[in-house]
Amino acid sequence: MSENMINPVPEGTNKAGVASSDRRKFLRKSVALAAGGAAIAATNAAQADDLKTWTTPLKNEPTRHMLGRGVVSVPYGLPSKYESGVVRRNVGWLTADTIASISFTPWQDLHGIITPNGLHFERYHAGAVDVDPSQHHLVIHGLVKQPMIFTVDDLKRLPSHTAIHFLECPANGAMEWRGVQMDSMQFTHGMMSCSEWTGVKLTTLMEMVGVDPKSTWFYGEGTDGSALQRSIPMEGAKDQHGKPIPAEYTSHYQDAMVCYAMNGEALRPENGYPIRLFVPGFEANVSTKYLRRIMFVDKPLVTYQETRHYIEVLPNGEIRQYNLVNEANSVINYPCPDYKLKGTGTYEIRGLAWSGYGKIKHVDVSIDGGKNWTAAKLVEPVLNKCLTKFTLPFEWNGDEHLIMSRATDETGFVQPTLKQLREVRGFNSIYHKNSIQVWKIEKTGEVKNVQIENV
Amino acid sequence: MSKSKMSKLNLGLAAIAVALTLSSNAFAFDTAADKEAPKVSGVGMKITDAAIKPWDISYFYDGTNLPDGKGTVSAGEKIYNKDCAMCHGDFGEGAHGYPKMVGDPVDQFEASAKAGVDAVGNRGINNTWGNAPTLMDEIHRHMPFYAPGTLTVDEAYSATCYVLNLANIVDENFVCDKESLPKIVMPGEKLYTTNLGSDTHNIRCMKDCYKGTPAVVQKAASIGDVSVGKVEKRDTH
Repeated sequence: MSENMINPVPEGTNKAGVASSDRRKFLRKSVALAAGGAAIAATNAAQADDLKTWTTPLKNEPTRHMLGRGVVSVPYGLPSKYESGVVRRNVGWLTADTIASISFTPWQDLHGIITPNGLHFERYHAGAVDVDPSQHHLVIHGLVKQPMIFTVDDLKRLPSHTAIHFLECPANGAMEWRGVQMDSMQFTHGMMSCSEWTGVKLTTLMEMVGVDPKSTWFYGEGTDGSALQRSIPMEGAKDQHGKPIPAEYTSHYQDAMVCYAMNGEALRPENGYPIRLFVPGFEANVSTKYLRRIMFVDKPLVTYQETRHYIEVLPNGEIRQYNLVNEANSVINYPCPDYKLKGTGTYEIRGLAWSGYGKIKHVDVSIDGGKNWTAAKLVEPVLNKCLTKFTLPFEWNGDEHLIMSRATDETGFVQPTLKQLREVRGFNSIYHKNSIQVWKIEKTGEVKNVQIENV
Repeated sequence: MSKSKMSKLNLGLAAIAVALTLSSNAFAFDTAADKEAPKVSGVGMKITDAAIKPWDISYFYDGTNLPDGKGTVSAGEKIYNKDCAMCHGDFGEGAHGYPKMVGDPVDQFEASAKAGVDAVGNRGINNTWGNAPTLMDEIHRHMPFYAPGTLTVDEAYSATCYVLNLANIVDENFVCDKESLPKIVMPGEKLYTTNLGSDTHNIRCMKDCYKGTPAVVQKAASIGDVSVGKVEKRDTH
């Protein structure tokens, strides 16, 4: 491919430079001094005399003497052809077909917190559909003073709300409950996204229809083949047995919105065009796509999604419903199993952290299997229920490392280890696997997905 | 946007709405909704319950809103064999990777969960389904998979009845309607809970967090190389 054309490097030379053996010794010492914590890059780490010397006279690249494409030759811009490997992928054996299925965002190739719209993971229960916005309506009814109907244009007239939030399928990581299975960060953590969402706050619409105080739940319904519906609790919500839903689950709806835009443009058909419900912090299944109806009620529906699908079968035999919040989670997306480290020297550990309860407060990184941790730098912005990028300098001396990240959110909740999670959820849980992800850096530079079972 | 900025903006919008004195469909409302929600007017239409009725198709766990009509096991068998069996199996055992209708008996299912045995593939309406009316809801709303939402109410009641019979929950003479479905006690109903809240309790230890060696587990050989073959491995990040 083009790598040599864009940035010609003589054969056998590593772009990042090759550490001399003296330098390796020095770095070993500095790692030891850091008491096994993440090795912080020493000042002037890239000593000029450590690096090989380029002597070949520079040549112009082919693009230097040609005319390029004119404006609007690509009316809707696309990534470079050299980025053709950065795509959504699915796992064939996971579902019976691609209509009721899921695809994964390639976070191993992304560098920020925003998911480009074309790479947003997909989850369908009856396939993606093309809803004509001029024919589409949203009805709001139930325990309200005045049932109302809105066109998409009506919704765009109303006071708008814009916020950046993550959206995560609760099955993110599901294939790893029973053991290591996916040697790819795309498949261990790709069922999530983060976008700037724009729409109308649900509370604005609630005011317009005059929601009855007796209303303790609502649900949205889609206009696709699944007509998916999920019950969402509000203050005072009780389950179908009369047991109160805890308060930490009954205020998320206040951030909910009926969205018509993501990252500044109209929703994509894959993500619910022309409008979708979005409840930040909750498992993505409640954020109904192709939204056509919202009903305010005083009890849950206990739908198929709530009784058969998005449930947790716990090791004491109970089937837990309505565990809606995606608790604090994090993952290192560089280095990760999708790429091999190329030579010793400077790297930067980078990753993403998020919590369905609010802002990320700390992310700690360990390179020794969780014995010692170093606080990573949180990259602004650090937002409510939003992916937060973190970084930590890393000097790789060629040794094996077990690297992992651990998020703490503003409520003080600390992301669990896999052992801790299995102790309470067992092995049959499928959903909400937010345990600390461990990657093993091999001496060869290969990065493997591993699990630590005893800690 | 900060809270203070938001309230300033909202106050501005409210002032505009009052100044225009358009007919408003905003009602006094100060309980569940955000008290800072802006006042709006002249947007949207009122709609009658009769106009909503064709979309009002959600049937609650307790039978609320179930439609008039009825279905039988025998009528359901014909529908099932034509529209459902190709995916859910002749006897509800599942086919081609689609879900089972009939899984492990609920006691066995519960025992598997307690023993840590993988029973995800053995879910069926006889273990993980709490209430019969929502089975009718799902069949009427979402099935058959290739032509969702095309069964009549009576056909959906019949398909529901047949599946309940396949799972030994009702006998072959059972008639499914809005009176009978809520009375059925589903085998798994007793297992459902909402014992919610954080159940893991990690602490933010920074130094010497444990003694000994981490037990590192890599991918089991038996699992096979499920992902690498599909990802085009690239040289650069």
